Amino acid sequence: MYEAVQAYPAGDSTVARLASTAARLGYSGLVIRTRSASRAMEPTAIGDEYGIDVVTGVEIDADDPSAASGSVGNFRPDFTVLTLRGGSNALNRFAVESDRIDVLSKPMAGRGDVNHVLVKAAADHGVALEFDLGPVLRATGGRRVQALSDLRKLREIVDHYDAPYVVSATAASHLELRAPRELRAVGEAIGFDADAIDDGLRAWKRIAERNRHRLSESFVEPGVRRGRYGDDAGREGDGREGDGREGDTGSGVDR
Amino acid sequence: MKHLPKHLRPRWRYLGVGLETWPTTSIGRRDFQRALWYAAGNLLGDPGSADAKLSVLSFTFDDAVGEGEAVVQVRRAHVEPARAAVACVSAIDDDPVGIRVRGVSGTVRACEERYMGRAGGPSRQRDVALDGADRPAVIRGDAVDVSAESGHVGATRLDLE
Repeated sequence: MYEAVQAYPAGDSTVARLASTAARLGYSGLVIRTRSASRAMEPTAIGDEYGIDVVTGVEIDADDPSAASGSVGNFRPDFTVLTLRGGSNALNRFAVESDRIDVLSKPMAGRGDVNHVLVKAAADHGVALEFDLGPVLRATGGRRVQALSDLRKLREIVDHYDAPYVVSATAASHLELRAPRELRAVGEAIGFDADAIDDGLRAWKRIAERNRHRLSESFVEPGVRRGRYGDDAGREGDGREGDGREGDTGSGVDR
Repeated sequence: MKHLPKHLRPRWRYLGVGLETWPTTSIGRRDFQRALWYAAGNLLGDPGSADAKLSVLSFTFDDAVGEGEAVVQVRRAHVEPARAAVACVSAIDDDPVGIRVRGVSGTVRACEERYMGRAGGPSRQRDVALDGADRPAVIRGDAVDVSAESGHVGATRLDLE
């Protein structure tokens, strides 16, 4: 199971500290959402030290779709996982209609909202919607009630259209990380299926693997890869693996 | 009052809970108990909180390094809601805490033997270089907690090279 976090300087802990804590909590991978941290770190060195798969990523936090669009073009080739911070209807709409974005983060934050149109578009374009458990874990009072009711609304629509989703505690320090079992228990307490939380944590891994495959040198387009004809790895790799991944994330579109 | 016959006594489970904070935070048993009940009351409501019970039996905390552990008693059938409530303890007296359930046991003794006594070992203070400036830090094992202007930064030995 994978988790996605903000690292120093955007968060309070460095990638290495987050990786060591996440490994101790039982995660097998960690997606970094902070651009400068993703650029500066050495994922394999940190991963080998703590026994965890560290994935480079970026979370685009733009004011409007046109700014976001520029960032998507700039960052897509350099980072394995590309998420976009939602929070307004225009940004949410932009994200779910972009094949090049992997995850729409915090879709209900701020004045953001989702409806059946956006969720259907997300399913069509293979953009995963994020269930942000952060406010459930860390907010109190009215803000938390609001976050819970937003989560419920999102859950009902996502369930109905079978749209792809991810789950995260949106931690910004090692103290804010919670173990997968704890997240599952919290999910159950607020009305999720226990399996839904696990699936949402595993979805990060599927996204990372699919994108690594797509960013690899040998990848040409889905079902086509460069290599020796009749090569065992090649034969096994494409068709089957590709189908599985595309089914998992609900996307059949190349990004 | 005369104690209950065995078949009417409640069945318990014991959670081994690990706590972590920034260094020089001090947390007492009462603070932790209060935070736990508050989290349970907010997440599970009064009935759920009463069902889970969640009482802190033993509590140790090392203020200097910001690390501690506790044994928490819960009713047997309510371990998962209790786990959820524990996960929702995000701050104690406004100090952020990292918290995890290390494991669940059927007796206090088993819980202490299996999940307690994992303190991070000795800690020491020294100045470390972060982002080109020397800053005071508390080092324990691999973990390095640096005090920066904006607050604390969690790092490890890997970051110091």
